[in-house]
Order: sequence, then C-alpha cells, then structure tokens
Amino acid sequence: MSNTLIELKDLHVNAGEKEILKGINLKINKGEIHVIMGPNGSGKTTTANAILNNPEYTKTAGQVIYEGENINDLKPDEIARKGVFMSFQLPEEIPGISVTNFLKYAKNKITGEPVKIFQFKDELKKYMEELNMNPKNMDRSLNVGFSGGEKKKNEILQMLVLNPKLAILDETDSGLDVDAIRTVSKGIEMFKNENNAVLIITHNNKILHNLKVDYVHVLVDGKVVTTGTQELATEIENNGYSKYKK
Amino acid sequence: MAKTQVEEINRNVYDIVDKDNYDFKIEKGITKEIVEEISKQKNDPEWMREFRLKALEVYNKLEMPTWGPDLSELNMDEIATYVRPKTKLNNSWDDVPEDIKNTFDRLGIPEAEKKSLAGVGAQYDSEVVYHSMKEDLKKQGVIYTDMETAIREYPDLVKQYFMKCVPVNDHKFVALHGAVWSGGSFVYVPKNVKLDFPLQSYFRLNSPESGQFEHTLIIVEEGASLHFIEGCSAPKYSKINLHAGCVELIVKDNAYLRYSTIENWSKNMMNLNTKKAMIGKNAQVDWVTGSFGSKISMLYPLSQLNGEGAKTEYTGISFAGEGQNLDTGFKAIHNAPNTSSVVNAKSISKNGGKCTYRSLIKISPKAKGSKSSVSCESLMLDDISVSDTIPVNDIQTDEVEFSHEAKIGKISDKTIFYLMSRGLSEEDAKAMIVRGFAYPISKELPVEYAVEMNNLINLELEGTIG
Amino acid sequence: MLSINETPVRTSKSFNINNININEDEIPDKTYEFNNVEIIGESSKIKIDKIQTPIDLKYGLGEELTNQVKTKSNQNYQIIVDSKTNKEVTFNFNFDKENASLVENIDITANEGTSASFIFKYESSKSLKAYHNGIIKLNAKENSKINIIIINLLSDESNNFLTIDNTIEKQANVEYTIVDFGGKKTITNYYSNVKGDLSENNLNTIYLGKDNQVIDLNYIAELYGKKSNVNIEVQGALKDKAKKNFKGTIDFKTGAKKAKGEENENCMLLSDTAKSLALPMLLCSEEDVEGAHSSSAGKIGEKELFYIMSRGFELKEAQKLMVRANFNKILENIKNEDLKNLVLKNIDLILN
Repeated sequence: MSNTLIELKDLHVNAGEKEILKGINLKINKGEIHVIMGPNGSGKTTTANAILNNPEYTKTAGQVIYEGENINDLKPDEIARKGVFMSFQLPEEIPGISVTNFLKYAKNKITGEPVKIFQFKDELKKYMEELNMNPKNMDRSLNVGFSGGEKKKNEILQMLVLNPKLAILDETDSGLDVDAIRTVSKGIEMFKNENNAVLIITHNNKILHNLKVDYVHVLVDGKVVTTGTQELATEIENNGYSKYKK
Repeated sequence: MAKTQVEEINRNVYDIVDKDNYDFKIEKGITKEIVEEISKQKNDPEWMREFRLKALEVYNKLEMPTWGPDLSELNMDEIATYVRPKTKLNNSWDDVPEDIKNTFDRLGIPEAEKKSLAGVGAQYDSEVVYHSMKEDLKKQGVIYTDMETAIREYPDLVKQYFMKCVPVNDHKFVALHGAVWSGGSFVYVPKNVKLDFPLQSYFRLNSPESGQFEHTLIIVEEGASLHFIEGCSAPKYSKINLHAGCVELIVKDNAYLRYSTIENWSKNMMNLNTKKAMIGKNAQVDWVTGSFGSKISMLYPLSQLNGEGAKTEYTGISFAGEGQNLDTGFKAIHNAPNTSSVVNAKSISKNGGKCTYRSLIKISPKAKGSKSSVSCESLMLDDISVSDTIPVNDIQTDEVEFSHEAKIGKISDKTIFYLMSRGLSEEDAKAMIVRGFAYPISKELPVEYAVEMNNLINLELEGTIG
Repeated sequence: MLSINETPVRTSKSFNINNININEDEIPDKTYEFNNVEIIGESSKIKIDKIQTPIDLKYGLGEELTNQVKTKSNQNYQIIVDSKTNKEVTFNFNFDKENASLVENIDITANEGTSASFIFKYESSKSLKAYHNGIIKLNAKENSKINIIIINLLSDESNNFLTIDNTIEKQANVEYTIVDFGGKKTITNYYSNVKGDLSENNLNTIYLGKDNQVIDLNYIAELYGKKSNVNIEVQGALKDKAKKNFKGTIDFKTGAKKAKGEENENCMLLSDTAKSLALPMLLCSEEDVEGAHSSSAGKIGEKELFYIMSRGFELKEAQKLMVRANFNKILENIKNEDLKNLVLKNIDLILN
C-alpha cells in the first residue's frame, strides 16, 4: 500500500458565491508534519474545512483523496470515522454535555467498540495532566465557559483521545501565550508517530519553534505559491508574505 | 443538510389500556345533581358538600379563558368527572387488584419506592388505591395520606387550608375542581422535621371520556424540609379527557419544599391544572417540571413570596410534538422585602407542536430589595412548529433588580458540524444537543425520573450517552 | 370605558397588559382647526400634497381613534419621495391656544431606490391641554432608505395618540427614533410589516415619565422576508408616580428564513412609586431564525451613582448623567444639533 495519507488535487472551493480556493495541490505522507502558512483570507481555514466537507463550503472542482479513496462527498462524520481530525479555530460550546461523556461517546463512534469507563477516565486524566489541564474540566460542559486557552487544549485532548490518522490543527496556536503554545506542541509530539500525520495551519510560526516540521506550504489567494522546509517558515517570520503577494 | 428526524416519544408503556373496569362511574356532564351524587358517593362531611355546591355556582358564573390555547374541543357534557376503581385504599401492594397493580408495575412505581422513596401514593382514576410511608416518619409526626382520609382524620388542618391558597374563583377550571375534586395527597411535615428521601404520588387516568381532579395539599411547617414528586400518565383514547388538578403548598418560615413533576399525559388530554405555593419568611420553594404529554396544557405554577427573604426557583422544560399545544410557564408574586425568584425555562417544538412560555413576575411596592432573573430558551426543530414567549414583568417599586432574557432559534449548523467532525452522525449530533439543552432540568430530578425524562426525550433517538 | 392599543396576542386579563382603558370623553367629538405647522427643508425631490389618503391599518390604536383620523383629520399630508436626498424635512407641529387639537394623517411613499429623512416634532406650550391623534403610514419600496425622527414634547396635560404603520419591501431600510417626553397619556401603536427579503427595520425609543404620566407603547414587528432584520431598543426612566407599559412583539412568520430579531428594553426607576410593566413577546413559526429579547428594570446602580457622586456631582446631577448615558446611543441618531440640544434641555428639565 502506498505511503500517501491524503492528497488534494487541484481543489477549488467556494464559500457562498465566492471562490476561496483556486486549485490547491497538496500531498501528505504518513509520518510527516506539514504546515500551511499564509496571510489572513488566503484560504487556510477553508482548506481544513473542505477536507472535512463542511456543508458551509462547496467544492467546485478537484478532489480530496484519502487513503486512495475520493472523499469529496462523504459526510463530516464519515470522514472523521475514517481517521481525520480537525482542531477548530473556534471550538463550539455544547451546554449540558460533559467533556468526559462527549469524548466517551465520540470514541465509541470512531472505534465502533464499547468504551471501558474506568480505563477511559484514567487515560483522560493522564492526558489532561500532560496538557496542564484542570482535571475538574472533565465534568464541565464541553467548552462552555472555557477560556480561549482551555478550549484549544481541549481540542488537543480530543485529538489524543480519538487518535486519528490525520490531525488538522487550524490556528490552534492563535491567541495562546508562550506556555500554552509549548503545551500544544508537547501534545502534538505525544500524538505523532510514523503511521499518522499532522497538518498545522498557522499564520505565525511560534508553534513551529518546538516542533520538527517536514514541509511548509505558503498559501496566498487560494493557491500554494511555494513549498519549502522549516527554513521557509523562518524566512516568512523575518520578511512577511509581501514577496509572495502579487 | 437533510432534516433530522427526532422521533416522537415512544409511548408504548404509557399507552397500554386497561379494561374500563370501574366500580362506579358517574354520568357525563356537570350539573348540581351530579355534584350532589359525587358528594354522596364520597361520603363527604356536610361542609365539603356545601363547598362543592358553592364551587359549582362559581363555575357556572365564570367565563372560559379569553386567551391561550383553543379549548373549544372540550365539552363538559362528554366528561365523566368521577370514576371509582374496583378497590379500596390499600397499604400493601399485595392487596391492590391485579390489573391496576400491573399498570403501576409497568410504570416502575413499586421499584422506585423500594429504592429511593420515603413514601408512595398511587391514584387510579378518581381514587387513591395505594398509600404507604416509612415507619420512622410516622413516628416523627409526618402525615402522608390521601385527601379523603385526611378530611376524616385531620378535619381541622384540612378545613384551615383547603382551597384557601387557591380560591375557587381563581378561574373556571379551579371552580370545576372545587365542585368535583377527588383523590390526591395530603402531606404534613411537622416543625423542623427534614425528610431525607422524597415522597411520590403517581396519578393514572385509565377511564375514557373522564376527568381526573385530584387535590394535593402540602403543609411544611417552620424549619421543615420536603421533596415531593408527582408523576402522571394516561393511555391514549380518541376522545378528550380532562385533568384539572389543584396543588396547594403552604411552606412556613425557614422551611423548604421542592416540588418535582413529570407530566406525560396522553395526547387526548386537556391538562388545565393549577398550582400555587405560599412561601413564608426565609423559606424556599423550588419547582422542577417536565411537560411532555397532553394535547393542550395550561399550567403556570405560582409562587407567592409572602415572608421577608423568601425564595423560589422554577426550572422547567416543555417538549411539544405533533398536535400538542403546551402553554406553560410560571408566576411569581413578590409581596415582601428581599425576596428572590429565579426562572430557567426551556422548550422544544417539533412536528407542528406549539410551545408557549407564559409568565408573570410581579414585584409589589412592599417588596423592596427583591431580585428576579428570568431566562427562557426555545428550540425549534423544524419550520412547521411554533414557539412563543409571552412574559409579563410588572415592577412596582424601584429598589429591585429585575432582568429577563429570552432566546429563540434552531440548532446551529456550526455546532452540528463540530460534533460531526468528531464522528457523530447528524442525527446523533442533534440528539446530543437536545439532551444537553434539557440537562439543566434533568439534573434537578432524582435519578429514576431523570432517566424517565431522558427516555421520554430520546427513547427513539439513536444511541445514548453513558 | 374604551379598550385601546390591544396586543396582537392576548394573555391573562389579570395581568392588565392586553390593552389600556381610556374614557370616551378623552377623545373629543369635535376637532377644531390646526394651522400652526412649520415645514422646513422642502425640496423638489420630495412631493408634499395636502390631501387625505385612504387609511388601511393592520392594527392601530382602536376603531374610535382610527376613525377619528379617517373622518375628522385637520392636517393631511401625502408625501412621495422620488429620489435620494440627504437633506431632512422637518414638520414642526406647534400647539397653542388657537391650535390645541391636531388630528393628522401622514402618508409617505418612498419610491424604489430613494432615500429621505423626516422629523416630526409635536410641541406645546407648558400648561396647554393639547390633543393629538395622528397616523403615520409609510410604504418603503425596494431599496429605499427612510429615516424618521419623532419628538413628543407636549405638555403634561395633553393626550397624545400616535399610530405608525410601515410596509418595508425588499432591501428597504427603515429607521425610527422616537422621543416620548410629553403627554399626560402617551399611547403609541407601532407596526412594521417587514415584508421584503433583506429588509431592515430599526426602532429606537427613549421616554421619560414624571408625575402621573402614563406611557403605553405597543410595538409590533412581523418578519416575513428572508434575511430580514428587526431591532427594537427602548430606554426609559420613570420618576414620581409615572407608569409605563411596554408591549413589544417580534413575530417570525413561516418562511422568514435567516431572519433576525432583537428587542431590548430597559427601564430606570427613579422613585419607589414609579411602575414599569413590560411584555416583551417573541413569537416564532419559522425554524431558521435568531430571536432574542431582554428586559430589565430597577434603580440606577448604587455603585455607579456613588462613583459619579464621589466626583463632586450631587444626587440629581448624578442621576441625570446616568440617564443621559443610557440614552446616548439613541440620541446619536439625532444628527440635527439644534434638535438634539432641545431634547437634552428637556431631559434636564424633566429630571430636575
């Protein structure tokens, strides 16, 4: 079997009437960490949402191939059950459903197996400690009243628990302080192995300081304008995107 | 996205019809002769007979409500107001006739008693068929019995309070209740006695084209504390049934009462119920209500805050499906300084159902330093249903903090996408959000009832949360 | 007794808010002439004719008051907006001994793509027993933009009845700012048929009540248009024995997909005998909408008052400052500086 996990082929995506992605090509192999950088409005978040087929976006051309299968028209939950995870920029608040119950339920949906509650809680507690999360959050309603940082850490917690093959982190670092960014990086390191992959979407590269990244793609106006390695991120940190804008 | 089918509540357990196997059923309609006959059948003392006849006069004078749901389908000439089951009041399950026992078994009543209740009462049609309470409570002077026994054994107490809290001229169906009431529970908790476990009364209306008019009178003396639960259900018939109960709660200084209701009447029921609490100094009454059944409901419990520092909270949810019009809400009258009321009302409308939140918060000139905060949330699950919020806020003095907030809308697409990205199907996602929406109410109920309520909400939904 | 200004949906009679009762004799049988009208800012872009137009209302204050305008009006204006104009047209209705009773019918049609602003000011000498019963009917056609400011500075002896009825077509935008300071009784019925897709209606009201003034506001917005938008904001303060009834209805009709409606009402109570009665209704028969309302009442916060007083303001001044702060956002809608100063001066006078 090929080592390719996911491939975007000439992907065009609209948000409403407006074309956001104008032909994206991207290939991610197992064991790799990719980064998409780009100025505001370049289509970074759209890329993430298009992979998970968020109904707010429409694919007008191109393909999303995941493990050799075209997943263009699968429903978000079907894609999630195949092993794609997305960390949201603005995680939704769900009153009345605790973090524990939610994750237990989601884990059961993803694995299709019953979840052993005590073992599960222990696992959860372990991850929460690693992520410097308050264990009391386990029993709080999902994301309700969480601070920005708590919400982002909770996304990383979900990633660790659900253990996907492809984790897409959409601006998980934005709005976080240095310590929180380090914690998120730690979470990614804990998650990462040779059989899975990570796609990090960011517009600053603080999060990259603590991670070893394989590829950096620069997205401008709905297209990948250049691809490089970690040095490219450093260059952008110093000089900005102006060089790549038309 | 395709519309989710959030299924109708599976009512099988509730809909099993017993044979209409009564001992006595009064002829249909409401006349002086009928009221006299009921009084005779029930062996009323003279004062009660007179009370009934007076109430009937008031009933005949009062007009039907000029607001709220359309009650034109209710024809009192088609309702039998008194149906006596073929049994006496029993103190042991073994003595309850087999068919009635089976009904309550199916509803899980005796099990609940064993597990977590301090006492149980069960009413079948117009009469209470079973009553029991833990021995140690009897020794502490707690009274828990049916209203008829109470009239015989504690006439002074009953006379002092019976329909004083809710006067018969309050509205037409209270007057009707006064004329034909039968059954219900009487509870007396002496000073400083605190019950650790709840008392529960369950009301079952089996007889077709009939009415249930139980009267519940609860007196919680100074410093005492009680949790009372009522449950109600009926099988579905094609013709209209009527429920016009009356609940009177007297909660004295420093006392506490929690009154929980799970209402699951069948969808041919007109539920025109009246509930009121008189709350003394530093006392508190909490209402927890889940309304799922009935064709039409009009029910607005009233907390009258009479003593300084009195408190009340109302936590309620209504779920209206096809053919249902649930007009519910709450009334709080602040009559003393530094009183407080908190309202948390939620509703879910689907399949053409209509939910209305109707309320009154009144802060009288005497109630300086009072606080009231109201929050209403309505969820619409499709575009053929209706959800209305009709709150009246009557603020008559300046030293108050009053706020009211309401929101209406559907489940956000963004939230659904978030949950689907975690592997939940769209149906699961919506069901989870609805359960979360109802959680603030279900968490206030004892476990068995929370489970029953969750069953009522999502018996038919795919998957359940652990 | 006449029952007027009924709410579109009834609730329990005992709540005393379904309608307001007035005596028959509060509506005079006979109306006299009214000639003291000043119109400022007339231009060729707006056609004003002094003719009576047919009156057809969905709600209105009640048959008696509506009929009075139909049959006994003493001022009639048919106004047609034909193009875009930035300049506002002001109607000053000045009440005095000779002109004490005004029954007017104003009919505004804003043609497609036009825009205009109007100010209607009703002002009387201090102790005059004035009578006002008016109907303002507005038809805002596609893409039109109409801004209306209504200033009520009638004396405390006056009866003030006003009916507003709007039809708002596709992408039209209608904005009202109402200042209700005067009148022994001020009774307003406001209705908007928010009909067109993407149409918008904003209604901002400030009121002040003193002595035995009664203010009865019945605001109704029915949303039919997709992505239509309604915003009702009401800020007021009551002192002495003044009483206010606020009845606000936002009604989402089936088909009004993605419509939004918000209603916010706040009443500052400046005495322990002032009374605030409110019924903020949200009616909804469409799933895909966002509706919200909030209503609050109470004294001005002790902390805020203390803070302001600690800066050297005496209690009355501090109260005024707080009331003005709450009114500020709405006052900003009044761009005409003279008019704004007049309103500010009146706030000052009333709260003294």
